[in-house]
Parts: sequence; structure tokens; C-alpha cells
Amino acid sequence: MPSTLPRLVAALALTLAVSAGPVRAEDTLPPAPAGMVVIPAGNYAPLIRTKDEPERVPVAAYYLDERPVTNAEFLAFVRANPKWQRSRVSPLFADRGYLADWAGDTELGPRVPAASPVVRVSWFAARAYAAWAGKRLPMTAEWERAAAAGFTTANGGTEPGFPAYALVWFSKPTPDTLPAVGLGRPNFYGARDLLSLVWEWVDDFNTAMVSGESRGDTGLERTLFCGAGAAGARDLTNYPAFMRAGLRSSLRASYVVPNLGFRCAQSLPL
Amino acid sequence: MKTKFAVVLLALLVTALGRSLLAGDSAEPSRAAEPSRASALLPAKDACCVVAPAATTAAPCCAVVEKSAPCCDPLPAGAPLSARSLYQLDAKWTDDAGQTVKLASLRGQPVVVAMFFASCEYACPVLVSDLQRLRAALPSAVRAQTRFVLVSFDVVRDTTAVLAAYRAKFPLDAAWTLLRGEATDVQDLAMLLGVKYKQDARSQFAHTNLITVLNPAGEIAHQHPGLQGDVSEAAKAVEAVAKRVSVAAKAE
Repeated sequence: MPSTLPRLVAALALTLAVSAGPVRAEDTLPPAPAGMVVIPAGNYAPLIRTKDEPERVPVAAYYLDERPVTNAEFLAFVRANPKWQRSRVSPLFADRGYLADWAGDTELGPRVPAASPVVRVSWFAARAYAAWAGKRLPMTAEWERAAAAGFTTANGGTEPGFPAYALVWFSKPTPDTLPAVGLGRPNFYGARDLLSLVWEWVDDFNTAMVSGESRGDTGLERTLFCGAGAAGARDLTNYPAFMRAGLRSSLRASYVVPNLGFRCAQSLPL
Repeated sequence: MKTKFAVVLLALLVTALGRSLLAGDSAEPSRAAEPSRASALLPAKDACCVVAPAATTAAPCCAVVEKSAPCCDPLPAGAPLSARSLYQLDAKWTDDAGQTVKLASLRGQPVVVAMFFASCEYACPVLVSDLQRLRAALPSAVRAQTRFVLVSFDVVRDTTAVLAAYRAKFPLDAAWTLLRGEATDVQDLAMLLGVKYKQDARSQFAHTNLITVLNPAGEIAHQHPGLQGDVSEAAKAVEAVAKRVSVAAKAE
């Protein structure tokens, strides 16, 4: 058994390495581009799943903007892409009310601070911005995985005080003027404002609430978020995640909402 | 804290009833945000020649020819697309014969469109059968000018050959166009139609079953959700937009 000893040594070394503590993402992955943070690979447990769906979905490591996109950044986008300016945008891609609080097509005005998150943007506009910036919108699983982290651990749900913190935003009215981005305390991965500033678009928001059994009927009412569906939910205590799922299911891609913004993501280089 | 949880639960139940969480969230005004269009299925009111699902007759602008109704004007080839025309989508699709197709090439005729995938075990065959029922319900003159378009969710498995086999299986005649496209283009179209879809672990797609009638300008004129329902309203919508085509033809 000459090969047994090296195997044992390797196993021991591995055990020691694992027990030495969590390996931080920045130790093992290429550094994130400026303004982005690394969300390491891991699993996402869908809030609601059908019997055919796995309990956990693997999520590859990716980069996520540290904070939501600001009015100033979106202004640069519409200047470079006039078809996304308020008076020119196709009603197919953004409903009336798109950037309604801006003073003009390329003017923010006094009520819209440059450093505050851009809101009243449709999914189409958010996605166009992301493409222009060389990025993309995060997927639901990616966004939720980033938002599941606490301040000091990867699992906010078990971090003392964090679940209560995650509910605070819901208890406060949206201010007339949204505060600047980046003021929120960074979470375990370094992302800010995920749970404390605005709702955020995700690329696949229109997958929310589709039940596997919707093939059997309209898929629009009966099988969505009814009592049975909620009873099958994995984590009944994660109310913010339920709220986000509910919100996503109510959206259409052209909608614009006064407290719905977005941030971008990027896949790791291959 | 209990109260807050109850508020959250209440909001959730509102969602369960198929209403907008945002619009209906009166108990939590801080997060209440008004989408600019509340209806999940109806097209915008100002869409041309809209036929509401409950309507029994065509919208006035389609039934009565008036020079003042711009949406009933003939559609000269090459005229700019209307603001709500789905034909603004510039994506290139491939049909089951391998030909490149742009949606704008469907302009000028009534179009009935649905999204599907070929390996679908249950809903899609029923959806296609609903479309066949709808087609059979059309007067022959209208039937002759109406195109039926099936667009696949399955960008990986639904190759042109698979789509061709799907056509042969039913069979679907020349009035049917079967399309496949890039993932982002499928997503764009689904977003515009209001079709939700999600691939599950077995690579099946859970999806909204939705039949959409497009007028000759490519605007959504009517939507019919569900399976095995009464398609007569959808048939009326097709007839209504077909009238517009014949009016346009006479004008020329």
C-alpha cells in the first residue's frame, strides 16, 4: 500500500486547509473590475420550486456592481444613445413615466441628484445600459445569492441581527429624493445597498412565479403564488425574498417604477 | 413586529390573486409604486385597432373607415413602423427551412403568434391545437390571409430540422411559420408579449400559454391566455384586423 500514506497526508492537509477558515473570494479569483465585487461560486436555494426542481441551484462566480447605477451614469448613457432619451424612447420599450423626474432629456434637474440611483427605468433600458457598459444584468439566482450574505458572513440568515436589518427598508417610506448610492454598509462580499435603497431589476425577472405545472393550465393565476405554493416554500422566514419575488412577478419589461433601479453584473473571464 | 409580518403576508396574498404587488400594496405605502400600466395582459389603450377580449365588435377605427383615423390608413410598404409595433424588433430568426426571417416581413397581414418548444410534453401540442381551432373558426377569406407563427423557447434543441419535423408531425401547412432565434431575441419577444418562461431541471420549459393576435402593423391587438379555452374572441380579433387589411388593399 505505498500510495496510502501520501493520500492520507493530502487528506489531512485538505482538512487543515478547510478548517483554517473560510477562503475569501478575493484570495482565489481574479480581482474584480473597478467598482465591482466578486460574488464567489455557490448555491442558490430558490424560494419556491416545483417538485422537479433541485433544492439548490449552482451559481458560478461572477462580478457584481458594488452599488446601483446612478443618475449621472445613466445620463452619460442616454447622451451616448439618444434613442434612450425620454422624448425619443419607443413606448414599446419604456412606458410613460420613463425618467419622468428628470428635468429634461439630458438634464437631471434639482430633484434628481447625480449620485442617487437611477429609477423609473424599464427592463429594456436597464439591459441596454448594461450592454453599453460592457456588462449585463444579474440573473435572479446571482442577485439573490449576493443579497443572501450578511455583513460578516456569507449567510445573513444566520447572522445575529441581520434578518431584522433586512426588514428595516420595508418599514421606511421612500424619500422624495433618494439618497446617494454607496452609503450602505458593505456586505460580506463588499456589495452595498442591496437591501437598503431601491428594488433592482434582474435579467430573468419574468421567470418569477412560473410553476412547473403551468404547462397544465394557464400558468397565470392558479399555479403561481397561491397558498399551496407558499406552503412549499423553503424558507418561510425570508420575507424580503418573498417580497422581491412578488415584485418581480408583477412587473413587465416596459414598466417604470419610482423606486426600481438596477445594477450590472459581469461573468468572470473564461 | 407581528404587524409588519402580517403586512408582508398581506402583500403576498395580493400577489397571489394575480394583482400587481405594487399597485395593490396599500398597506405598505412606502413601497407602493405604480407601474405605468397595470394590466398584465391588455395592450396599451392607445395601441392601434385594439380589440379588448370582452369586445364583441371591432374597435370603431377598424370597423368604420375614416380618413381621420390614422391607424386605419393603408400601410404603404416602407412606411415607418408605428411606435407600438413589435416589428421594431430587428432580430434575425431562422425558420424551419433554414431561411432567415425578420418579424417585419410579416407586416401587412393578420398574424397569430405563440411561443412553444418542440419537445414540450403537454401544453404546446394543446396550444397548437388551439391555434388550429382558431384558424378553423375564421371565415375562409380571413383564414387565407392570416399567418400563424410559432416561436421556440428552446434555442439549443429546436434546430431547423427539429422544427421541420414538428411541422411534419402535425402537419402544419404553409400558413404556419416556425421560428428559432438567439436567446436574447427570444427573451425580448417574450418580454414584449408578456410570456413568462423558465427552463426546469429536466430541460422542459415552464411557460405562459398565450395566443397573441397582431394587427398588420405588428401591434398587439388581442391576447388569449390559457389552454383549451373559447377562442372565438381571438377569432373575432383576427377578423377585425383582417378587415383593416382589405380596406387598405381597396384603397390602393
